Amino acid sequence: MKATKLIVFLLVAALLVTACQNPAAPTAAPAEAAADGVPEICKTDAFGCAVFKPGDVLKIGMGAPMTGGDASYGIDISQGAKVAVQDFGDLNGFKFELVAEDDGGTAEGGAAVANKFASDPAVVAIAGHVYSGATSAAMPIYEKAGLPMLSPSASLPALTTMGSSVFNRIVFTDARQGPPAAEYLFNKLGIRKLAALHDGSDYGKGLAEAVVARFTELGGEVVVTEAITKGETDYTPVLSAVASKGPEAVYFGGYTAEGAVIVNQMKQTGLENVVFFGDDGTYGADFLSRTGANGEGAFATIAPIPADSPEKTAFDAKYLELFGKEAGSLSPYTWNGYDCTAALISAVKSVAVLGDDGSLYVPRGALVTAVRTLTEYKGISGTYSCDATGECNTLPPMFVVVKDGAWVPAP
Amino acid sequence: MNVPLAQKSPPRFGRVQTVLRPLLGAALGLFLFYRLYNVIIVQHEYGPETWTRLLIAGLIIGSVYALIAIGYTLVYGILFMINFAHGEVMMFGAYSTLFVFEAFKAIKVGSDPVLTFSNAYPVLAILIAFVVGMSVSALIGYLLERIAYRPLRKAPRLVPLISAIGASIFLQNAAQLLFSPQLRDVTNPEVLARGSGWSLMVNGSKVILPYTGVFTFVLSLILLAGLYLMVQKTKLGRAMRAVALDKKTAALMGIDVDRTISLTFFISGALAGAAGVMWGIHNGLVYYFVGFIPGIKAFTAAVLGGIGNLPGAMLGGLFLGVIESVGPAALGLDFQLKDVIAFALLIIVLIFRPSGLLGERLAEEKL
Amino acid sequence: MKTLLRKSFANGAVFGAIHIFLVLIGFNTLIGTLLARLTGVKFSGDIPPAGALIVYTALLALLGGWAAARKSKSGSLEKNLAAGAAAGLASGVFALLLSLALGWLLTHKVDFRQYLAYLSFDFIRVTLYQLAPLPGALSALGLFLFGGALGGLLRGLRGVNVVQRFSALLRRVWGKLAEKVNLVLHGRYRLALRVLLFALLAAAVVLLPLKWGSYWNYVTGTVGLYVILGLGLNLIVGLSGQLVLGYIAFFAIGAYTMALLNSPIPHNIMLGFWPAVALGVILAALAGLLLGLPLMRLRGDYLAIVTLGFGEIIRILLKSDMLTDLTGGPRGIQNISGPRLFGVDFNSDIHFTYLILAAALLAGFVYHRLERSRAGRAWLAIREDETVARATGVNTTRYKLLALALGAAFAGLAGAIYASRNQFTGPDEHSLMASINVLSLIIVGGMGNIPGTVLGAFALKGLPEILREFANYRLLTFGALLVLMMLSRPEGLIPTHRPKYPLPSPDQQQKGREEVNDDL
Repeated sequence: MKATKLIVFLLVAALLVTACQNPAAPTAAPAEAAADGVPEICKTDAFGCAVFKPGDVLKIGMGAPMTGGDASYGIDISQGAKVAVQDFGDLNGFKFELVAEDDGGTAEGGAAVANKFASDPAVVAIAGHVYSGATSAAMPIYEKAGLPMLSPSASLPALTTMGSSVFNRIVFTDARQGPPAAEYLFNKLGIRKLAALHDGSDYGKGLAEAVVARFTELGGEVVVTEAITKGETDYTPVLSAVASKGPEAVYFGGYTAEGAVIVNQMKQTGLENVVFFGDDGTYGADFLSRTGANGEGAFATIAPIPADSPEKTAFDAKYLELFGKEAGSLSPYTWNGYDCTAALISAVKSVAVLGDDGSLYVPRGALVTAVRTLTEYKGISGTYSCDATGECNTLPPMFVVVKDGAWVPAP
Repeated sequence: MNVPLAQKSPPRFGRVQTVLRPLLGAALGLFLFYRLYNVIIVQHEYGPETWTRLLIAGLIIGSVYALIAIGYTLVYGILFMINFAHGEVMMFGAYSTLFVFEAFKAIKVGSDPVLTFSNAYPVLAILIAFVVGMSVSALIGYLLERIAYRPLRKAPRLVPLISAIGASIFLQNAAQLLFSPQLRDVTNPEVLARGSGWSLMVNGSKVILPYTGVFTFVLSLILLAGLYLMVQKTKLGRAMRAVALDKKTAALMGIDVDRTISLTFFISGALAGAAGVMWGIHNGLVYYFVGFIPGIKAFTAAVLGGIGNLPGAMLGGLFLGVIESVGPAALGLDFQLKDVIAFALLIIVLIFRPSGLLGERLAEEKL
Repeated sequence: MKTLLRKSFANGAVFGAIHIFLVLIGFNTLIGTLLARLTGVKFSGDIPPAGALIVYTALLALLGGWAAARKSKSGSLEKNLAAGAAAGLASGVFALLLSLALGWLLTHKVDFRQYLAYLSFDFIRVTLYQLAPLPGALSALGLFLFGGALGGLLRGLRGVNVVQRFSALLRRVWGKLAEKVNLVLHGRYRLALRVLLFALLAAAVVLLPLKWGSYWNYVTGTVGLYVILGLGLNLIVGLSGQLVLGYIAFFAIGAYTMALLNSPIPHNIMLGFWPAVALGVILAALAGLLLGLPLMRLRGDYLAIVTLGFGEIIRILLKSDMLTDLTGGPRGIQNISGPRLFGVDFNSDIHFTYLILAAALLAGFVYHRLERSRAGRAWLAIREDETVARATGVNTTRYKLLALALGAAFAGLAGAIYASRNQFTGPDEHSLMASINVLSLIIVGGMGNIPGTVLGAFALKGLPEILREFANYRLLTFGALLVLMMLSRPEGLIPTHRPKYPLPSPDQQQKGREEVNDDL
């Protein structure tokens, strides 16, 4: 009987919660009720308008792993995004705010966060999600709610081939950097025997597969393909096995965390004179500090960035001041976090209409289109133009190499 | 003690099982032998230099597992509980190394502008790192018992386990919040620079025997031997064994049970701390999640050797380390599957030896 | 009095250490932010106004004073006050020293964030209540002293005559009320009330999903799935007493069965939802059977680690290169199609909430029947004492296997629905932490009973959602709550009541050994 009482109590509590939430609902409803001052576009827009009274804040949602083993990605990207909100987060007195929610990088968390954002009328756009798994589960929910996404880092190829109208990304994908990397290895460096390693994640594996496919096509020999286990610190066994196959270069698809360990341990396992070739995930200042002299001569492919633009320098300084860490030391996606948030804010600004009643109206359907048709947006880590599927980073990669302890453009 | 008869004789099982088990064993043995023969002799994928490298890596990581596994085994032997937060205790040891070496790196010695304290007095620096790391971890182990486990000593057996899981989550996130989620590298004194070591020539190619690895391995063995002697010879060790055997009788014999249990946690924490310091010195990478995987592995190692059994934990640790490193190559599988091999081996061992390789034994005689 | 003060000082010191820890992880600004938001104070950025932190410090001190006074177990007002004040003073000294150290960092412009991530200058300033270091530190001391004394005083007031009488009155009224309610509940109208209650419940179950929006639907759905998982694991752990740590592997089998049979990539089989659910359940049960068959000889903790290993093996195999063509590898499987029933496509969260509620009810019904069946009694016998159970003619191997297979089937059901609802499943969904969550759920709720499982699922899956306000501190708070819950209610939130008989001999097998050791 006690248990029944408890269940009744829970239900009553739940009813109360719903009852309490109702007052917030009117803001969510299309603004047709308040006929005067409502811009024309809100009546025709497929998803209606988000309405902000003076003093309300516009929320940019972000779903990212903020706790658990991958927290550094979520925390870093959200910190980058916070700087963007500070820089651009003002529209005629209406403030923007970044709401970073923890999705743990998983589908379960991603869907929970997406549902939360979808039921918050003040959320206008989503900078994320950060992980592909969470993004996959979140996408259908945003699709229904008409919330545009711009992911800084979800690189799974299938995400843009599922016909979603809301999903876009500025991350540099496998298809963009894998084949050119293989060509560079084969043609420029004259490598004929390649070892392909990846970290077992969808990102690293996709890249390694793209490189292997193109490299074989060119006539090179892939002597060994191995996956490592993410998050470990001793890869000497797998590197020893790789060494016995006598490769001339090691391609690694993955991130700095493991990439730096691999570069260091290559010197102990008979791979001293073998070229290390990484991706945009192994690029960054952190790689240099963690590999030291061992890192000399390591390659990486990156999205073409304007070499140290004043905006980037300003961002790096601001990030260091606010968070006490070098930008890029927590994850390679700091700048992407900044860029995708800034791009979303600029898209919101381009479609928002100030009503006669002093409220701000953001037509949701128009915003989805605005993000999808983003053209020549100049960010600090690249220039972005989204194509019809939502790929916004479509330029060919740039090759860089570590020389005298610094990343320089490769010859 | 009135031991029921049924316990002395192994439990009887269905006829199917008695027939199946040897058959299964024979089939598995044949398959493994065939596979090993095929990969090592027929295909001859790897030369002796590779095998040497694999073995070295395996023994080093195995010795760290052994050191952590001892902590699980000590606690299990006495309280019959799995101290799930043990890996996190080790993580704090690793963080201590990081900070001690960072501090010594910052201290300059004499007029030489580049000579730092850690390079000028490397032995002292390493010693201090061990003292700090072991004390921090020992303290955390001790507090863990006082706060999260002691009040639960009479609770059903799963309750302390959940409490330990909660503590593990708490400690992990506390470290993440305190020190930020950044991955950090430990800068060793130059005498123990990571990556350098003695060169051996095996089959015409150079195999490096890293200083840090040898240091880790030797020190682990010394600590383990010391602990074994302590448990066998000292008064405290006798008290621990007595408490493990029977708390009530031990209390009647004048042993302070609470104090003994506290000390057990203190010691197992200190050993985990030492493992953490060695982790910092040998692997170099420190972050808040660093204790999780070794913790699980060490737990596996403890069970593999026979939980509650000190030499068993050590054997289990080394065995697990070597299997992880040599196993994939020997079986001709992807290295990604090394944990699959390790866990499958665990299952196979337990099918044929249900209480681990060496059996359970902390006290001389089990109930 | 002297020992009282000494003890209170020690208690205060513990609180001081907690205070330092909370400041170093930035918890004070979090609470400050929540307080400010609650009272509607506007502020910009992440740093709350100093006033909120003053309130936070005072509240913490109040708690410390109260705790110290409570530990003193004294009835008199003065002693309580003294204990509270002493505790406040002790923790105040800690706070003072911390504030001075932080102030030193501030005045010397030392950026310490490389080591302790939260110590930015803005943070230090607000921790010092936007004052200069020395006044800030002194006001911290003052606040602790004041708060501690107040806490002691409040505690001491319980001893004052007037308050005592008042609380006695309250208790009496409450008791009368409860009695009346009880009378009504168990009296003449019992049946009618029950019917009403269940009608209310049914109405709520039917109406709520329509009403409360997609987010709460999603959370309810997740809780419902974890109820199914919890019931399944309860069959294994709670009823038959086998500790299984890799339970999520069976969930993964269900989820992947659904995903592989109902997604265009990689196999494009598109079998449909219902056969896939059935297949998922069967496959999961088979996996449980196969895993259990050779392992029935193993004792508690060995079984735990073996099943943990099994869970990891499944996860690693799912994401391995070797099986990528079959399972989609680390990418997981997208675009899983939903069920279709009576010509309606399940695509909204409301549909899935109903589906999950129905599945949870079914699981609850099956569990209820099993618990009271012959098998249920056999499981109980095995859990209490396997040797005796065997001696009395229970085929322990068969019943243990049955529990494992049935528990696995529950997980397979939950997994299949889960994959279909999220339209996605990947290998990292099925990590060790997920298994641990399910295990925690049944123990937090109270092992072996349905209401406990439901409550545990709410606590374990609902609580983190509620704790979202705590942002980065979510899991930290969760871990701490898990420990606290175990300390305060080791039997779980809703303990299972069973008649207990005194045992003639203390020497039972296995479980008995711990009891022997524990009943000191």
